[in-house]
Amino acid sequence: MDLEPVVRMKGVSKRIGSKTIIDNLTLDIPPGQVYGFLGPNGAGKTTTIRMMVGLMAITAGDIEIQGASITKQFETAISHVGAIVENPEMYKFLSGYQNLLHYARMSPGVSKQRIAEVIELVGLQQRIHDKVKTYSLGMRQRLGVAQAILHRPKLLVLDEPTNGLDPQGIRELRSYLRQLAEEEGTTIFVSSHLLSEMELMCDTVAVIQQGRLIDVRSLHDQDAVANEQKKTMFEVSDPERARELIGQGQIMDSHLLLDIDRDTAAAINERLVLSGISVYRIAVVTRTLEDQFIELTGGGQIG
Amino acid sequence: MGNFMRLVQNENMKIYRRIRTWVMFGVILLMVLFFSILFRLGGGSSTISSWDAISQLSFLYYLATIFAAVVAADIVAGEFTWGTIKLLLIRPWTRTKVLASKLLALILFTLLITVVFFLASSLISFAMYPENTTSLMYSDDVSPLAYMLEDILYRYIDLLVIALFSFMISAVFRSSGIAIGLSMFILFTGGIFTMLFNPVRYPWAKYTLFVNMDLSQYRGGQEGVAGMTLGFSITVLLSYVLLFLLVSWLVFKKRDVAA
Repeated sequence: MDLEPVVRMKGVSKRIGSKTIIDNLTLDIPPGQVYGFLGPNGAGKTTTIRMMVGLMAITAGDIEIQGASITKQFETAISHVGAIVENPEMYKFLSGYQNLLHYARMSPGVSKQRIAEVIELVGLQQRIHDKVKTYSLGMRQRLGVAQAILHRPKLLVLDEPTNGLDPQGIRELRSYLRQLAEEEGTTIFVSSHLLSEMELMCDTVAVIQQGRLIDVRSLHDQDAVANEQKKTMFEVSDPERARELIGQGQIMDSHLLLDIDRDTAAAINERLVLSGISVYRIAVVTRTLEDQFIELTGGGQIG
Repeated sequence: MGNFMRLVQNENMKIYRRIRTWVMFGVILLMVLFFSILFRLGGGSSTISSWDAISQLSFLYYLATIFAAVVAADIVAGEFTWGTIKLLLIRPWTRTKVLASKLLALILFTLLITVVFFLASSLISFAMYPENTTSLMYSDDVSPLAYMLEDILYRYIDLLVIALFSFMISAVFRSSGIAIGLSMFILFTGGIFTMLFNPVRYPWAKYTLFVNMDLSQYRGGQEGVAGMTLGFSITVLLSYVLLFLLVSWLVFKKRDVAA
């Protein structure tokens, strides 16, 4: 397996007028991963993706896909990419099949058999010859996935793919993406502002705010997760006094939160009870990515 | 990479799989038939030649021009309105090639609608006036068929210029409404403009699109107003057409696809 990054963003900036939308973004996306791109609305996720697929010009820097520059070798670079940029818009007056045929004609080596295979993968066999205007949003999303993977791209780019999908649609999409990453080795780059969604889908998450990359972290590094993200919560009758007694911790919603291991938790429990403080509940709480994200982005102000 | 004709095939699919396009052809056939009947009834017992009948119907070619402008207006702007431009431009084809495929599909459409129009008007005219095929309107030394074909050519050039203008506006403003509106403006104010700004009095008017669009003014080797010649008008038209295409190409190539 080569570990050359599939996508290489090198000091990418985008300025429109005097406004800097993306500021010197450098990011490598390793192959075979589901890579999340997280940020509040207006952080520059969509702009970055549009530069990645050549829909927008890059003001400074360059983006390489499989070693080919999207600006200088567009046709080579883009042939490795399948994408859904925001909602999958289709030709409504054509049938689903005609839409796929349209995109199949534009990529070399997509056979009729491949089209049938993809239709089956996304489960649209029953309705593929109906006009797209009769499709539900979920079906359009499936068709969107189908057009994106027709030519077996090495990189699949999805911009806010779960927007407007119902929970079942989201789950389906998630399972397609996992399947693609695991079975076909496709690298998937997916943007979202839905943090919980990213936690369920991604191997790695890059966090962007106001056009700047502020963090990249792995979500499958279990030790780091265990140490960094877990706290022990005590629900007690008098949290203030409990904190004084223990000499550490933070109070949240009349609960006391502590960074401790299980043995210490038992000892603290004993001390609290002996001091006459009632302990109603002890639980380990996991700090979600969402909490971390809000911490990182300072509550997500759009500036 | 790949085969360029498949792109044109795609553009054709997007034109001919729309019901709208078939309504256009239907309207043309119906109008030709309707006016033939009207002329026949209005003419009473006197009969005219089939060739004259065809010529009588040729004003309906305006319909073809309007429809060509509508298709041209949608061919680029439609992709933006539908949002499909985002999926169209992320294929292994440069924007130049995508635009070229649209241009070629448009030109094929203008040829098709022209052929349909003249076939329809010829067939209906010959069917309605089968007994008298010698023209009263044309002198003996000119073959009516040659005359008609020359006429078609002049009218087709007019249509093509308008369609390409519409194509440019479509690419620049991404709005088919503006493209249709402005093309219609050119189509219908051309005559008025030529009257208001007669090149004899206003020498600069020679270089405007309007006064050069009707090439039939030079028919039979005639000289046009203010010393204009066929060669001059062709040069002016060609310059405008190249300008339209250049502007379309530059804007389409450079544009950030944002919405």
